[in-house]
Amino acid sequence: MKQSPRYNQIQENMKPGAFTAHGFLGEDDRALKDIIRQDDADVEKLDLSHAQIAGRMQYFTELGKELLDIPVVVDEIYEVLVDDHRGEIPCPFADNQKAIKTNTRFTNKKLGITIYWSDLNIHMIRYHGFYEGKGSFFRNDPQKLAKALGLI
Amino acid sequence: MKEILVTILSITGISTVLAVLIIIAEKFLNNYGECEIDINDGEKKLVVEGGSSLLSSLASNKIFIPSACGGKATCGLCKVKVLDGAGPLLPTEEPYLSQEERKEGVRLSCQVKIKKNLRVYIPEELFNIREYISTVTEIKDMTHDIKEFRFEFKDGEDIKFKAGQYMQIETKPYAKVREKATRAYSVSSVPSDNKAVELIIRRVPGGLCTTYMHDYVKVGDEVRMTGPYGDFYMRDDSDDYVFMAGGSGLAPIKSLVMDIMERNLDKKMIFIFGAVSKKDLYYTDFFREVEKKNRNFRYVPALSRPEPEDNWEGETGLVTEVLKKYVEGGKGKHAYLCGSPGMINACVNVLVDSEFDKKNIYYDKFS
Ligand SMILES: Cc1cc2nc3c(=O)[nH]c(=O)nc-3n(C[C@H](O)[C@H](O)[C@H](O)COP(=O)(O)OP(=O)(O)OC[C@H]3O[C@@H](n4cnc5c(N)ncnc54)[C@H](O)[C@@H]3O)c2cc1C
Ligand code: FES
Ligand SMILES: [Zn+2]
Repeated sequence: MKQSPRYNQIQENMKPGAFTAHGFLGEDDRALKDIIRQDDADVEKLDLSHAQIAGRMQYFTELGKELLDIPVVVDEIYEVLVDDHRGEIPCPFADNQKAIKTNTRFTNKKLGITIYWSDLNIHMIRYHGFYEGKGSFFRNDPQKLAKALGLI
Repeated sequence: MKEILVTILSITGISTVLAVLIIIAEKFLNNYGECEIDINDGEKKLVVEGGSSLLSSLASNKIFIPSACGGKATCGLCKVKVLDGAGPLLPTEEPYLSQEERKEGVRLSCQVKIKKNLRVYIPEELFNIREYISTVTEIKDMTHDIKEFRFEFKDGEDIKFKAGQYMQIETKPYAKVREKATRAYSVSSVPSDNKAVELIIRRVPGGLCTTYMHDYVKVGDEVRMTGPYGDFYMRDDSDDYVFMAGGSGLAPIKSLVMDIMERNLDKKMIFIFGAVSKKDLYYTDFFREVEKKNRNFRYVPALSRPEPEDNWEGETGLVTEVLKKYVEGGKGKHAYLCGSPGMINACVNVLVDSEFDKKNIYYDKFS
């Protein structure tokens, strides 16, 4: 699918070495618009919204932040460990938003799933419906993410 | 047929003439000629070629405004008060400027294109910021994810900085990284060691600059940096200091403590250092030694999750709880915090509850 020059520029920002060392796209060679469109359709199929998913991620990250570098167990099922670094990272969508370099390690002990996200992921899911390209370290498939977060 | 050919030829001719005219017009329109930058009411006057950004024109005249994004308008650090001649505010600047700043004429200097004479105000301390070309002379492993680097300045150049301040180092393109990037690192060495700086860098998995520093930079390599920056430095007007750090946040605290010792200042000091387990502790012997030499200094390492094999008998648990335990009554005391944003936010709350005056709690902003 053809995308606007603005999206082409954002896709450039997402390549390795532009904003971050490894970029946001992994091995995904689809156009950014297509990546977003596909994930959007998947989220709709789950009868969820990006805001709901981001809100749940944020909820766990905030709980994790309260105990700094000690893992927090929530509802006996979830374990959250937050590791934050000094400095902020700009959003590749060039909307002048920045996120602190905070990373969350999230485990759903019942399902045996451990996933990672950064504060930037929460922002990008909430405002851009972007879950990153396939193969990117910080990509979480909406289906897997919703399941791990106990949303489905 | 002939008519079609004539039409095509005349269209091509007209387009060519138009294109040439546009190129000439652009050359003239974008040729702003020489412009003057008046700094602080005539204190300094620079003559620069118009057309470049204020940030880069100042940098080419050795005036370094803080910046972490290389002029992409994503860090918001490069603020300068432009009193005259800047043109309208750009949409890229808006998110970074408060109403008050806008009223005062504060602008992002990377977004201000010089088209005519400008009058700007630059705080005096920024004139001390310089560019340094250094050679890496030592790299030490401090923990499994922290390294300390020593950078000696080329041609015996020296630096004047206050303990607690930071430098901005520049990475070179490596692996898939095609552009240079800059990141801030607090100086861990003392100001008296002025022909070099030491920086303590914690690896951020997949991080652009920390991967470069940990995996690509070797002894003998050249590194460009600018500095010193920041207002996280010691104010002398207290006799009682609380220092608190986590991870790489130990760097400026080490510099502050060494500086106080070197200057023989009679200050009561406690340094609480939060780490996860014993493998994350470093400079322990150094601070124990300081403790032995100076009865006014106390070092309290605290582990949040010691391993069984650590046989740890010191403080454990949340660093905020340790802080509460050791800091009683904050009246007249100063606190210096350095570490992750989460740690700083939590510690500020504890200190305010212990009657520390908010203006006596110092830490670096996160961006
Ligand atoms: C005043 C100041 C002083 C400082 N002093 C020190 C110091 O003394 N020592 C020190 O070690 N550090 C210090 N820092 C922090 C330092 O400036 C850097 O921010 C830090 O080292 C990380 O830089 P990096 O380039 O390696 O990471 P970056 O590449 O800029 O960021 C990595 C982070 O970005 C996020 N991210 C990256 N890629 C993605 C993706 N695809 N999807 C989602 N999120 C992603 C993640 O959170 C990841 O952890 C200081 C910062 C400031 C502001
Ligand atoms: S240099 Fe980063 S916003 Fe101007
Ligand atoms: Zn964004």
